[in-house]
Amino acid sequence: MAPLMVGAFYNPHLGAELVRADGIDHLAMADPPAPHDPNWPAIHQRYTLLLHDYLGQLSEPLDERSIARARTLAELYHTPWVAEHFQCLHTEDGRYNINYVFPPLYTEEFLRRFVANANALQARLDQPLVMENIPGFFDVKASQLPEPVWLRRFFDATGAGFLLDLPHVWLEAHYRNMKPAAWLAEFPLEQVVELHVAGVEQDADLQGPWIAPAEPSVEMLDFLALAVSRCPRARAVTFDAFSPSLTADTLLRSVERIRGAL
Amino acid sequence: MSDRGLQDLVLRALADAPFRASREWQDQALADPGRLERFARFLARHYYYERIVHFFKYSGALAPVTGRRPEAVLRSASFDALLATAVLGSRETARAVASVVVRDVQAATPSQPIPYLSDLLSYERAMMIAEAGPRVWRETAQGEGGSGKGAPPELVEGTVLLDLAYDLPAVLPRLLEPWTEVPQAPSRPVKLLVARSPHGRVTVARADAAVASVVELADGRKTLADLARQAGLRAADLEAALAGLADLGAVRFTTGS
Repeated sequence: MAPLMVGAFYNPHLGAELVRADGIDHLAMADPPAPHDPNWPAIHQRYTLLLHDYLGQLSEPLDERSIARARTLAELYHTPWVAEHFQCLHTEDGRYNINYVFPPLYTEEFLRRFVANANALQARLDQPLVMENIPGFFDVKASQLPEPVWLRRFFDATGAGFLLDLPHVWLEAHYRNMKPAAWLAEFPLEQVVELHVAGVEQDADLQGPWIAPAEPSVEMLDFLALAVSRCPRARAVTFDAFSPSLTADTLLRSVERIRGAL
Repeated sequence: MSDRGLQDLVLRALADAPFRASREWQDQALADPGRLERFARFLARHYYYERIVHFFKYSGALAPVTGRRPEAVLRSASFDALLATAVLGSRETARAVASVVVRDVQAATPSQPIPYLSDLLSYERAMMIAEAGPRVWRETAQGEGGSGKGAPPELVEGTVLLDLAYDLPAVLPRLLEPWTEVPQAPSRPVKLLVARSPHGRVTVARADAAVASVVELADGRKTLADLARQAGLRAADLEAALAGLADLGAVRFTTGS
C-alpha cells in the first residue's frame, strides 16, 4: 500500500496559516478560490489539491455548464480525482432545495440514474471520479436496498472510487443502534480511494450527535485506524471540516492527530 | 409514482412545514414523523444560517459596535416561531427571516454612530429576499429562452430598486477590512438595483435614470415603443438599459401564450 496523504480542507479564512503549515500533504477544495484571495497563489503552488466542490446531483445528468465548470476546476487544481456525493437535495423542478447533503432513495431506479449519470460524467472528465457516502438521519420506507449494497452495485457498475466518510458511517451506526465497526464492514471498502474524518457534536434540533467542524475524538481516530486497515487502495485521509468557525489550532491539531493515529 | 417523485415528496416535506403537517404527506407514512421533524428543523436553521451570514455580512462586520450578530436570531424565540410555517427557499420565508434579523439589529444602540444602518439593513434584506425563489439547476437542451428581441419586457419577480440616502457601495468593502472607527458612507442619494439570475446569483448595480425608469415601467404589456415614449428614452438608450437589465436577470421578455 502506498503511503497515505494526510490533509484537510482549504478554509480561506485560515489561508495564511495553511501557507506556513507543516505536515499537511493536500487540501480539498470545497469552493473555487475567491478572485482576490491573497494566499491562493502560494496554496496553489504548494499543495496537492483535491476537487471537492458541488458539481451537481447525479440523480439527473449534469448539464454542459456544470461539466465545463468541473473540467475547469479540475484543470486549475491538477486534482488527482474528482469528488461528488451520493445526494439528491433539490426537487426535479427546482422548487424545493434543502441546501444540505441528503441521500437518494436506495432503489433500483435511483441506482440506474446514478450509474448512467456517473458514467456520462466520467466520460467527460480527465480524472477518475470518486463518490462520497451521505448519512441518513431517518430511513425512508420506499428504499429497497441497504445502503452498502446499493453503493457496492454502483461502484461495480461504474468503476468509480469510494470516498468513505467515516463520521457519516459512525452517525448512521449510532442512529441504528449498531456498532460502528459492524456497520462499516458492510461497505465496499476495497473500493475506497479517500477517507474523510472529523468530529461530531451534539445538535439541539436533532437531539443527538451530528457532523461538526470539530476535532475527531479518540474513538473516531481508532475507528479511522480500523477503517484504513481494511481499505487497501486508500490514498488519502482528509480532515473534513470547512466552516468560517473553524480555527487554525483545531485544523492543525486534527491533522497531526490523524497522522498519529495511522 | 416514480422513485424520483417519492424523493421529491420527501424533499418537499423537509423544506415545507405546512406540507409536512398536511394529510397529503402524513398519509404517505414514508418516514418517522418525529425524526423527520427534527431533521427539518435542523435543516431550516442551517439553511438560514448560511443566508444570514452571507447576506448580512456587513451588519456582522459592525457587530463589535452594534453588539448584535445577525445570525444570533437563529436561536431566538422569534425564529422558532417561524418554523411551523417556514418553506425553505420561498420568498415569503426569506422576507420573514430577514425581518427578524432587521428588527434585532435595528434595535441595537451602537457604541459609535452608524447613520446609514437603516439603509444597510434595507440593502441586506433586499439581497436575501431577491435570492429566494425557484431556480434553474440544470440547463435544458432547448436553452433557457432567447433574447426576446422586440417582445415586451417585464420585471422578474424579486427584482428591487432601492432608494437609499447614503452611498453604500462606497463604504461596503471598507467594512470588511480591519477598522477601529466605523467607516462612514457619503450622505448622497443613490438608487441600487438588486436582481437575481435564473441560477440564483444575486447582483447589485447602481441604477441610472434610464434603468430606474425601465424598472418602474416594465410590466410585460408595454411594448418597447411604449417604454421608450413613457420613459423619455431614445431607442438606443432603451436597448442598452434593457440589455444590462437582462444580463443581471432583472427583466425577461414575454413571449405571449
